[in-house]
Amino acid sequence: MTTRTPFLFLPQLILLLTTLVVFGIELVPGDERRRKDWLPAIALTGLGGAAMAIIFLWSRTTTPPAGSILAGMIVVDRFALFFQILAVTTTALVVLLSTDYMRDRTPDQGEFYGLLLIVCLAITLVVAAADLLMVYVGIELLSLTSYVLTGYLREDRKSTEAGIKYFLFGATASAAMLYGMSLFYGATRTTNLAAIATALSEAENSLRGLVIPAAVFLLAGFGFKIAAVPFHQWAPDAYEGAPTPITAFLSVGPKTAGFAVLVRVFLIALPNFYPDWMALLSSISIITMIVSNLVAIFQTNVKRMMAYSSISHAGYILIGIVCWGRGGFGGSFEGISGVLIYLLAYLFTNVGAFAVITAFEEATGSSRIEDYAGLVSRSPALAWAMLVFLFSLAGIPGTGGFIGKLYVFGAAIQARAYTLAVVGIITSVIAAFYYLNLLRYVFFQPPTENPKSITLSATAKITLIVTCVLTLAIGLYAQPFLQLAQASANLW
Amino acid sequence: MLSDYVFIGLFAIVAAIFPFAGFAVSYLVRPKRPDPVKSDVYECGMKPIGEAWVQFKVQYYLYALIFVIFDVMSVFLFPWAVAYHTLGLYALVEMCIFLGILVGGLIYAWRKGALRWV
Amino acid sequence: MIPLHWFLIVAAALFCIGLYGVLSRRNAVGILMGIELMLNAVNVNLVAFWRYLDPLESLGQVFVLFVLAVAAAEAAVGLALIIAIYRNRDTIIVEDIDLMKW
Repeated sequence: MTTRTPFLFLPQLILLLTTLVVFGIELVPGDERRRKDWLPAIALTGLGGAAMAIIFLWSRTTTPPAGSILAGMIVVDRFALFFQILAVTTTALVVLLSTDYMRDRTPDQGEFYGLLLIVCLAITLVVAAADLLMVYVGIELLSLTSYVLTGYLREDRKSTEAGIKYFLFGATASAAMLYGMSLFYGATRTTNLAAIATALSEAENSLRGLVIPAAVFLLAGFGFKIAAVPFHQWAPDAYEGAPTPITAFLSVGPKTAGFAVLVRVFLIALPNFYPDWMALLSSISIITMIVSNLVAIFQTNVKRMMAYSSISHAGYILIGIVCWGRGGFGGSFEGISGVLIYLLAYLFTNVGAFAVITAFEEATGSSRIEDYAGLVSRSPALAWAMLVFLFSLAGIPGTGGFIGKLYVFGAAIQARAYTLAVVGIITSVIAAFYYLNLLRYVFFQPPTENPKSITLSATAKITLIVTCVLTLAIGLYAQPFLQLAQASANLW
Repeated sequence: MLSDYVFIGLFAIVAAIFPFAGFAVSYLVRPKRPDPVKSDVYECGMKPIGEAWVQFKVQYYLYALIFVIFDVMSVFLFPWAVAYHTLGLYALVEMCIFLGILVGGLIYAWRKGALRWV
Repeated sequence: MIPLHWFLIVAAALFCIGLYGVLSRRNAVGILMGIELMLNAVNVNLVAFWRYLDPLESLGQVFVLFVLAVAAAEAAVGLALIIAIYRNRDTIIVEDIDLMKW
């Protein structure tokens, strides 16, 4: 099964063709206004096609042997397909959010949707990468397009500032990551993840001094993508300045991609060095949970608050990776499937929360927390949706966020990593404080000025309904989602 | 092995001497008639206007950006060209696709007006 | 023959110089140049490893080609962002780009 299975590449081909169509439409002279309504529909069609292809491949892929394409650069297994479906879903929801938000803010509609599709394509490549070279190229494609999308509103001072800060941090982090990759090449003469593991198991101790620094360099790049604490400084600024639908995307898309790569590289290439990177990742996880939650309390801008919130979730998810297999395989709380279910719930919750923020910004032009005062009387639907999403982010039972937290903390306790579990639970309580503070404004504070009621557009309604229903569904009827995660968590 | 570096050293020495030799020879043979105008700053025979540290038109950057992309992509053509005979039809088609994507990008930039000098 | 570790030391030094440039430069273009230095350090590493450890395979060289191409794309995106910020701020000194702070 090498190059003769082009249908393994089907999702990417569909995405690529849709991208070309979207860019091509931009070149056809004609009525600008009509075209603006067409572009999201075309993008959604392409994403739908890609989703169907991914689901088809998922159902056809048997657990251990996966097809690999592009000379072993890309491996198509259920783990990758699961993350691809996350990427496509996120992108589709973000396209829905963008239709109203971007319509009057920029004249360049076609490029916006084209770039969104390219980011989606990049994520589908990154999560399936089985070679450091592909990891690098995929992460760069993902990063470069996200920089452009972050700074997309050229006239907006905050947007361009966010773009350039994101770029400078990101380019430095990826240069460091690349240095780590070059060291791996030097240590093992290969860049294939499985081959690295074989080479390292043959000469484990002599290469220790080279492999550990190389892993730290790699972690700088991955940590930047998932926005974990020493590498998080870009996140608040990029989140605040980016166009709000793109903020929603940044908080989910690159993060899931980063986690997929992190899991794959560390579990497949470095299983012999588990004690070393376990110590590294658990300290990063602890710092991330503590710092982000403490700083989030003092935020006055809701997008910035959500940025710190999203950093803190990276800390929780890292627990699942750290505890992936201690305590034996086949336990009821297996770390990696915990990571997958957490990311699935986090996707719908966070995109949903940003859908509320986008709708609110459309109506009032503000994203300050105090302007949310009395939202319940202006738009009950938005207020109750926000309640669901914030409860889920805080991890209150009955929501998807609870199931995610249950599984990663459960994995930690089962692996006897009590420090991680305790820090996680304490910081979750702290996090509940700032989530509930926002809800206090929404429900109990009187509105400040003239409270006009907010009307929602059709696309905003669809996004809110989909995300709300799925957030609750994962929380109330978790069984099928858990089975999906467990079936996808098998990397071998 | 080390003797290979002798040529490089020799070359470096000659390269360092060359400009000085040129200046020295022209100093010896040229007639000397000093004039204040001769030591003036000039640009293409005109009197200089404004500072030398001017802002360049942003348009130059646009060209530079497009150039950088296409310039570096040619790096992939060299190994392909060297190994062309052993690769066969498959590689030819692949390279055509690669170049087609690049040309598509160029057409896009052109239609978007990035190549128009304003 | 020059030993391998000389090349590695040069690459490490180049990487550190680039990183120092990134951390100390105030001009966004200067930072970008620092990043390019870091990438070139990686290239020196890769080529040296390839030549000394793995000269029969082409993997190291291929990796370098990809790094070069991606670095060019990165420079293009970076310069475009810098131009955008210059157009609405009249500065590319990163310390003055400070609308948002925690």
